[in-house]
Amino acid sequence: MFDAPHSHVLASIAAHATSAPDKVALVDNDARVTYSQLVARVENAAGLLQAMGLHRGDRIMLAANKEADFIYLYLAAHLLGIVNVVVDPSAPADRLNYITGITRPAAAFGNTVNPIDGIRVIAFGDLDLDNKAILPLPLPSLQSSDVADIMFTTGTTGRPKGVCLTHDNIAGSACNTNGFIGTKSSDIEALALPLSHSFGLGRLRCVLIAGATLVLVGNFANLKTFFTVLDTEKVTGFGMVPAVWQYIKRLSGNRIARFAGQLRYIEIGSAALPIEDKRLLMELFPKTRICMHYGLTEASRAMFTEFHQSQDHLDAIGRPASQLVEACVLDEQGGAVPDGADGEICVRGNMVTHTYFLPQDNDGAFYGDWFRTGDWGHRGHDGLFYLTGRKKELINVGGEKVSPGAIEEAIKSLGIADCACVGVPDPKGVLGEVPKAFLVKGNCPMDFEEIKSNLLTKLPPHEVPVEWAWIDAIPRTSSGKIQRLKLKQ
Amino acid sequence: METQVKQIIARVLNVSLDVITDDLSAGDIPEWDSVGNLAIISTIEQELDVEFPLEDLFDLTSVKTIVDEVNQLKNV
Repeated sequence: MFDAPHSHVLASIAAHATSAPDKVALVDNDARVTYSQLVARVENAAGLLQAMGLHRGDRIMLAANKEADFIYLYLAAHLLGIVNVVVDPSAPADRLNYITGITRPAAAFGNTVNPIDGIRVIAFGDLDLDNKAILPLPLPSLQSSDVADIMFTTGTTGRPKGVCLTHDNIAGSACNTNGFIGTKSSDIEALALPLSHSFGLGRLRCVLIAGATLVLVGNFANLKTFFTVLDTEKVTGFGMVPAVWQYIKRLSGNRIARFAGQLRYIEIGSAALPIEDKRLLMELFPKTRICMHYGLTEASRAMFTEFHQSQDHLDAIGRPASQLVEACVLDEQGGAVPDGADGEICVRGNMVTHTYFLPQDNDGAFYGDWFRTGDWGHRGHDGLFYLTGRKKELINVGGEKVSPGAIEEAIKSLGIADCACVGVPDPKGVLGEVPKAFLVKGNCPMDFEEIKSNLLTKLPPHEVPVEWAWIDAIPRTSSGKIQRLKLKQ
Repeated sequence: METQVKQIIARVLNVSLDVITDDLSAGDIPEWDSVGNLAIISTIEQELDVEFPLEDLFDLTSVKTIVDEVNQLKNV
């Protein structure tokens, strides 16, 4: 049994393997892996990495395929102090080449859809994780402040940024989350989120720290499969992004409500969810803790809200996730702004990154030890935080900062299927920027003039878009965030 | 009609036609995720001029079920 004081994730797994060795940790298709087997597999994977000559401080690229071998290697790297560069298996070649070009991994594992220039990616199926003895412990003296993972932002703006996360960061985020949600060792979670994203990978760590059971599910595409897993595995919790909720709603109606009695929690995050959907979820799951997080890869799960407990404040993003997390609102010089006034939301705490991989990416990213989220909002007099929009996405109409989200909400309330707004140069050259709206027509019978006149009853005139365009689909990241830069181009 | 449906699925998912076998289901390949599934449904509705009944969408999980549904809607 390994001893890993530097990693709370590994130490927790080892403790569960001692106290409940036969408890199932992972379900991967037909395979059921107990906590004692998980420890043995992680040790085997560590032995393999050692046999390849890898050691503390090296970086490996791991394609986050949804399979147990990924998890063994991911944890084995932590055990040895090797840094995981986690990538999406279906990432385009350009992105993979950029990431490997700057991180220069000593080895690469997984099943990537696209090849990477000059790098042999060892497929999980080609790994022999059996009978690989780990070299004698103790391991080199590792620190909890060592970097454990480098995650690359999904990039609503520019090129991806590598976010360095320490063992303390990833454990801190998981403990904050488990504390808020109330995860128990008796929980069984279905994981259909991608493991290459902060949300999905975070769920993995939450479950294993809690000593609960994680059932790996490919994705949400096949809802029949997902519902069968909920049923047969007696699942008590899962995580989803708002786009998945829209998908579940569209394809299955209210069918998911039949699991309301067994689901103790649902975690939602990564993008905004309309208030009417929050109310619908509360109606369908009256006894489930429906927890929505606010966070970024750089500051995972910084804040939380639970819908039933916050039913009078469903427009808020919540409060700091635990007593070890702080949030504040600062102006453009880094000075505090009073409650109720808008500014940039900043956070600090156990889960916040200390640095990006490239030092130049740190420019303007922090005010002292406060991480600047780039999100605009305020703290209400009730102590809750409210989001106005992405700072970089705010539309500056003649000095008035306009949130594209507020315009989109108003447009959608008219029955428009989907829409997104961006700031474009004022064609009259007076206001600086004006809003432009991209609309998905769907079954909407209205033309732009009708929409515009209806909006004037809902929005101040300067917030009503000046330019309009129909579009087939709103470009979004895989986690559902609108890619406004693409619309601007 | 079967070939047309399979061609649309292959094109929308950006995979080669020989991947689109009858028993291929949503989630079986990374390209057929929830976004891909929605794109398949809307493209077939648009290009083949059919409208899938809402109550049937939940069951359209494989190439075969989609082909069968289109055949039924088209009275083929």
